[in-house]
Amino acid sequence: MTRRLKFAFSPRPPRLTPALDRTLSAASRHNAALLLLLVCCGVAVIGAFVIRDLQSANTEAQRAYSGTVQGLQQIGELQYDAQETRRATLYALTTSDSNLQVEYADQSRTADQRVKDGIAKYGSQAKRPEESVLAIRLGRDWNNYLSVRDEVLASILEGSTKEAVSLDLSGGVPAFERVRQDLNEVKRLYGEDAARSQANLVASARRSTWRLVGIHSFTLLISGAAVWAIQRSRMLSAIQLAKLQMEFVASVSHELRTPLAVLNSAADNIADGLVVGKTALKKYGAILQHQSRAMGQLVDEILLFASTEDGTHSYVLQPLQVSTIVESIVAETEGLVRGAGFVLDRQIEPDLPLVLGDVSGVSQCLHNLISNAVKYGGDRRQIVLRALAAPVEPWSGREVRISVIDRGIGIDSSEIDQIFDPFYRSPRVNAAQIHGTGLGLSLAKRIAESMGGRITVLSEISAGSTFTLHLRIAKGEDVQTVLEASRPVVSSHL
Amino acid sequence: MLRRMTAILTIVALTGWPQSEAAVSAALSTESVWAQQGAAAEPLVIVVNRSNPVDDLSMAELRRIFLGNRSHWANGRRITLVMRDPDEPERKTILRDVCGMNEDQLKNHFLHGLFTGEILVSPKTLSTPTGVRKFIFNVPGAIGYLRVSDLDDTIKIVRIDELFPNDKGYKLHVQNQVGN
Repeated sequence: MTRRLKFAFSPRPPRLTPALDRTLSAASRHNAALLLLLVCCGVAVIGAFVIRDLQSANTEAQRAYSGTVQGLQQIGELQYDAQETRRATLYALTTSDSNLQVEYADQSRTADQRVKDGIAKYGSQAKRPEESVLAIRLGRDWNNYLSVRDEVLASILEGSTKEAVSLDLSGGVPAFERVRQDLNEVKRLYGEDAARSQANLVASARRSTWRLVGIHSFTLLISGAAVWAIQRSRMLSAIQLAKLQMEFVASVSHELRTPLAVLNSAADNIADGLVVGKTALKKYGAILQHQSRAMGQLVDEILLFASTEDGTHSYVLQPLQVSTIVESIVAETEGLVRGAGFVLDRQIEPDLPLVLGDVSGVSQCLHNLISNAVKYGGDRRQIVLRALAAPVEPWSGREVRISVIDRGIGIDSSEIDQIFDPFYRSPRVNAAQIHGTGLGLSLAKRIAESMGGRITVLSEISAGSTFTLHLRIAKGEDVQTVLEASRPVVSSHL
Repeated sequence: MLRRMTAILTIVALTGWPQSEAAVSAALSTESVWAQQGAAAEPLVIVVNRSNPVDDLSMAELRRIFLGNRSHWANGRRITLVMRDPDEPERKTILRDVCGMNEDQLKNHFLHGLFTGEILVSPKTLSTPTGVRKFIFNVPGAIGYLRVSDLDDTIKIVRIDELFPNDKGYKLHVQNQVGN
């Protein structure tokens, strides 16, 4: 067993600081919740950022489309209509048919109205000052061109082709050129807007990508750290358990070796004929009887722990009278208490209700608690066994509390959570060479919980400890059921 | 009846006349005059560009203009004559009541005038009232004629001998096809 355990421990894990080990150990109790919380937080954060980035990109894309693509489409239509205005005017030059000339004039005027509307729309949608200025300038230049266009149209319709051409060349062409330049300027501004929107979109996409990468990395890091912490915590727990088991083996060996040595010596003395006389033999017989019983109790305790560990031990719950149980356990432990020089004081509240429990289980619990009180009771050697009924908080019911109170060495507050762990032995008691297996409290706790009760502890260093067994009060139907189904068993304990 | 009412209201809207209660009464009395003249007669309106300052022309001046003997307005703008196609009732009315000629005489008159240089520009011929309206709208010095029912606010009506088309004594009336 020792060899196997040694093999199991090798190689040893890298040592961390005790503080970190303690932190990890504490974290291990909540590792599943911690991991779940971390993953949930990570997913929630990633989800929130992804949604925000998608919305941002969508908004940016829509703004880019509406502000630029549609804008460029509008300016394209504006350019076409401006060209159409001029084109229709010049078409009128190509015919002498007044009817056709009027049609072309009409087309020109329809197109110029669309241009006016487009310029007004551009002006109303202008966001930057330069766009507003450009819209005003474009409108003015367009009106200048139209005044020339009207003269040209009039000349064409009058039949003065030469005059019309002259007017167009001298006034129409430069005026239209200014309009063309204005429209190009509008297009350039739209292009700038498009470039700016595209740059924003690219920057937004890049920012989102880096943010997502960062968040994923952070989440992976946190998850990795959590997993590492959990694994390390588990490993430390396993090591601690193995260490406790080794200490348990050593302790049990020691506990067995002591009575074995006594038995061996007594047997040797008897075999060697050194024990002569009836009185001496009686004394040796008593020694052999006491030591063999001690060994039996130890073995029983180990077997009981093993049975509670694998869940094969079961308890029969039935209504029990507290005073009877207390009297029984006092009688059972009288030798132990008196032999150690302790005084046990009973404080039993009269008329306590029946409690629900198993006779052997309750007895075992109280026996272990009284044994511990004797072991760690210190020099004042006083034990109080108190039983009373008390309300259960925060519920409105009541319960019976059986407390074992000593004035001994007490328990450090940092160890309170560990004293119920199997095989746990406080460094202080080890140092004080107080022997034990580390199973007593663990067993008592398991038995209490198996009966629907619990064990609590209040302790102060050098002032003593109070271990309390909380038992449920038997209800009327429990009593009735037991009376009807198990009358012989119940009656023997009541 | 409905068509006449529309015409009256159109003239009122375009000219801003009548502006007094008496003028309204006059317009209503004009309708009765049209009724007396029969369903086939409709006033023919002389129209010019809205920028033209001329509001009134005498029949003699109108004749000179439509015969090409007057080439410029008082403001210096060249006069551009707008005529409908031959055989149109409106053109026949102008030839008969203004020019005092038939189609051939008018043709010869212009050929002679252009040849001698007395006339600078021959009349523009348009085939639809809409064409006439748009032409006059586009040409500041244009003058033409339209039925009352073809009027809109893009052109301006000119009084003849200080008479509006719906005034009693107005001389230019076109015979509708129904009446013919």
